[in-house]
Amino acid sequence: MTRPARLAAQGLAVSLVIGLLALLVWQVANNNSKGVAQALQDGAHPTAPAFDLNRLDGRGRFDLASLRGKKPIVLDFWASWCVPCIHESTRLEAAQKRYGDRVAFIGVDTKDFSGDARHWQNQHHITYPSVHDGSGSVLAKWGGLPIPRIFFVARSGKVVGELIVEEDLPRYLRQIAAS
Amino acid sequence: MRRLFPIVLLALLLVPAARASERHPTLSELEGEVMCPVCGTTLDQSSSPAAQQIKRLIAARIAAGDTKTQIKDGLVAEYGSAILAAPPHKGFGLVAWWLPVAGIVAAAIAVAIGAWRWARAREPAPAGPPLDAVAERRLDDELRRFEG
Repeated sequence: MTRPARLAAQGLAVSLVIGLLALLVWQVANNNSKGVAQALQDGAHPTAPAFDLNRLDGRGRFDLASLRGKKPIVLDFWASWCVPCIHESTRLEAAQKRYGDRVAFIGVDTKDFSGDARHWQNQHHITYPSVHDGSGSVLAKWGGLPIPRIFFVARSGKVVGELIVEEDLPRYLRQIAAS
Repeated sequence: MRRLFPIVLLALLLVPAARASERHPTLSELEGEVMCPVCGTTLDQSSSPAAQQIKRLIAARIAAGDTKTQIKDGLVAEYGSAILAAPPHKGFGLVAWWLPVAGIVAAAIAVAIGAWRWARAREPAPAGPPLDAVAERRLDDELRRFEG
């Protein structure tokens, strides 16, 4: 192999290694997003990550940002295969009857089959609207599995908290309803 | 032609099998090609509720007569392309399919070049100019004396 050809081959190999390293760094940097749940644990109140997803009932799409400045939000991540979600969603359904005029209750059906999800909603008499996040990409931005995960978003769009202790539900609802 | 016969025979055996798998997929083969969305494994490795739900869905679609492609397309529409264990044969997914092939080809070329260079280095040095008649006769005499 001539000297220029050898230099070209070495340059190509070094470029390939640098390219792969850059790809690795980019991947690590992009996966470094802590999600809303972690930010809340760290004491921050991040702005709710926007999403625009198909509604589960087939009535077009729902854009979370459309409620910013208009109404506080309760965001419920659930799936039809999730057994504890039945209890939490039923509690939210009851809370909606009291706070529904001041607070928007939105479900995010995640990593789920939409047909089963619609059946699950009917079976458990859940009436607040849900969107379908089949790939779980929205859930990942909010903190990922496990579910159920319930977040409270103030009228300003800032996330106030996540429901960790069941007894905190009335407190969070009062807090965001007054925001 | 005789060397090609086993390859042709293998292709003739595999093509109908692939077509049958496409038209009449089984649950067990699809369980190895579809991911559980919450466990990071294929369905056959998981018994989580989410995996059970997808297994039921696949079984129902098989019973309804769907092809493998129709079932997979339906799953991708619901869960996104990450639900498939193998990347799609289009777009960026092609990189995952062709990069190993390109690597193997590049490695084969590198080995071939290396072998060729190595073989060339071991070839005997070219012979010098032929001996003149006097030198050749003298060499023959020397050899005869040596052998005698």
